[in-house]
Amino acid sequence: MHKFRRPHAQQISKTSRTDIGDDNFLKASLRRKSSMTKPSVPVGIICSQSGPYHAMGREILKSALMAVDEINNHPDFDFSLTAHVRDPRGVISEYHTVCDDLIRNTGVEHIIGCYTSASRKQVLPIVERTDRLLWYPARYEGFECSDNVIYVGASPNHNVLPLVRYMLDNISRQVFCVGSNYVWTWETNRVTRELVTAAQGSILAERLLELGEGAVEHIVDEIVRRKPPVVFNTLVGSSSYDFIRAFHAATTAARLEIPMLSCSLCEPELKIVGPASAGCITSSAYFESIQLPENRAFVQRWKARYGETSSPSVDGQSAYVAVYLLARALSRAGTSSIGEVRRAAAGYRYNSPQGPVWIDGDNNHCVLTPRLAVSNAQGQFDLFWEADAPVKPDPYLTQLDVAAGPARETSRAEASPIAPHLRVVK
Amino acid sequence: MSKPSSFSLRGRRALVAVKDERDLSIVRRQFERLGIDIFTWETGDALECRPDVALIDDEFLPLASPAQRALPGRCPVIALLGTETPSRLKLVLELDPASFLVKPLRSAGIYAALVLAFERAERTNELKQQVVKLEERLRSRRVVLAAVLQVMHSHAVAEPAAFALIRRAAMEQRKTIEQMSAEIAANGSLPRATG
Repeated sequence: MHKFRRPHAQQISKTSRTDIGDDNFLKASLRRKSSMTKPSVPVGIICSQSGPYHAMGREILKSALMAVDEINNHPDFDFSLTAHVRDPRGVISEYHTVCDDLIRNTGVEHIIGCYTSASRKQVLPIVERTDRLLWYPARYEGFECSDNVIYVGASPNHNVLPLVRYMLDNISRQVFCVGSNYVWTWETNRVTRELVTAAQGSILAERLLELGEGAVEHIVDEIVRRKPPVVFNTLVGSSSYDFIRAFHAATTAARLEIPMLSCSLCEPELKIVGPASAGCITSSAYFESIQLPENRAFVQRWKARYGETSSPSVDGQSAYVAVYLLARALSRAGTSSIGEVRRAAAGYRYNSPQGPVWIDGDNNHCVLTPRLAVSNAQGQFDLFWEADAPVKPDPYLTQLDVAAGPARETSRAEASPIAPHLRVVK
Repeated sequence: MSKPSSFSLRGRRALVAVKDERDLSIVRRQFERLGIDIFTWETGDALECRPDVALIDDEFLPLASPAQRALPGRCPVIALLGTETPSRLKLVLELDPASFLVKPLRSAGIYAALVLAFERAERTNELKQQVVKLEERLRSRRVVLAAVLQVMHSHAVAEPAAFALIRRAAMEQRKTIEQMSAEIAANGSLPRATG
C-alpha cells in the first residue's frame, strides 16, 4: 500500500519491462522518469500489442500512457504514476503469467488493461486472490461483478440494447448475425435474439468465425444470396476488417444496400479497413466526433502526441478515462489501498472526453452516455442519437424489459423510475 | 405490457440463512444487483415469508424443526458448502439442493447458482406433475380394462376395436379415456352417439 501524502512512504518505481514495437514515442514515454519530487504509485498495464486484436491493445496502451504522462505533469496530483507495461501478445495463458509477474515483481495494486473477456477471466483469479484492483477499459457482455474489478467500459444495456432497439424500430426485425466465436458474440446474440423474438422478428442466421479467421467469403456469399434486410456484425479484430471489405465489395457488385450494425467498431479500425468501412451503424459511448469541449481538447492533445492523422478509439479513450478515474480516486483516498480507492471512486464524477462518467458503487461499473453513429467516408462517425443523461449500468440486465421501446430499460443514474429521453444529435 | 428478460431474476424473493457476516454481505450485495428481495433467516426464527429460493449455510444443518425441514419442498434450495466431508454432505443431501455454492463466497457464481436452481426446480416440478399424471393413469387402468371388456361384450368386437370406440367417444365428449371408461363402467354401455 502506498500512502503518498506521507513523505516517508515515497516510492520510486522499479524498472518497467515492455515491448511496444516501433512506436518511439511510447518507448520514450515509458523511459521518462516520473518527477522525483512526488511519491510514485506503480500501475500495471496489460495489453496485447501483437495477436489478433493487437490494434486495440496498442490503442489502449497509447491512451493509458498519455493519461499517465498528463497526470504526472499535472500540479493537482501530489503523486505520480509509474507504468509497468506487460504484453501478453494475444496469447490467452500469457495474461495469467504477466499479471502474476506484475503483482509479484513490481508490487502494483492497480492494473489497467485486458481487452477480451477471456483475458479478463484469466486475470480475475489472481487479482481476487491477491486483492488487487483491475481497471478494465473495454465494453463487455456483462454478467460479472467482481469487487476486484472496476468496469470502465460500457455495460450491455449501454451498448447492445440501444443498437438492437434502433434496428427493430428503424431497419428491420429480420437480422443476419455474424460474429467471432467467443463469449462476446454468444451473449450479444442471445440478447439480440430475445429482443428480436419479443418484437415478432427472427434471426435469419448466426454465423461464427474463430478469432483471427480470415476466410469470410462463404458468409458474404450467403448474405448476397439471401439478401437479409440487415447484418449485425460482432466480429472483432482482423476477421471483422476482412469481413467488412469483402461484404462491401460483394454487396456493391450485386447492387445491394444492406445496412451493417456493429457495437465495437472504432475510428482506428475505420482507417485499417479503408473506404469499405463507411455506412456502418455503430453503438458506442465514445466517438472522436463528440462535440464536447473536454473531447475537443482531448483529441487535440492526442493528435499532438500521436500525429494529425491518428484517432483515439473507444477502448483507448476508456483506458484514458480509467487512468484518470484511478488517479482521482487515489488523490481522494490519499492511499493506494484498494478498498479505500474503490470507495473513493464510487460516485466521483469526472468530466471525461466522452462526457460525465462515474463509478456506480452498487456494481463497480461505469455510469456513462450511450450513443449511436454511422461511419462516414472520412474514417469518422456521424452521431445521430444519444441518451440525454448518463445511464446507470445494468450488468445483469436486471432492468431489461424485452417488450419495451428504446428508452425504457435505460434507468437513470439517479435511480429515477423515469427513463431518460433520447434525443437526436445534429 | 412489460416483459422481463428470460434470464432476469428481478422481483424474486430469497430466504437467506448465512452464518458468516462477510459471506452474508456478499450475498446481500449480489442479490441487490440482481433485483432479488432478501429475507434473512436464522434457524430459530419462524418462516414468515413465501420464498422463491432459499440459501442455506451448511453450518445450520441439520435443520431442527419440522417447519424448517419442510422448506426444501416449498422452494429450490441452494446449499452453501464449507466442507466436502461426506458426513456434512449427507446432511446437505437431506436439503435436496437444486444448486450449491462453496464458501468463502465471492460474487462470481451466485447468479449461475440461482439460475441453475430455478431451472432445476422448474424441471423437477414438471417431472413431478408428469409422475402424478402417470400414477393417475396407472390407477385407472383397472377402470379402462373394465370398460373395454364391457364394450367388447356389448358390441361383440375385439379389444382393439373396443378401445378405439372408447377413445372416439372420449374425444367427442372432450374427456379423458379414463373419465369415459369410468362412465361406461358405471352406465354399463357406451354413450349413444358413438355406438
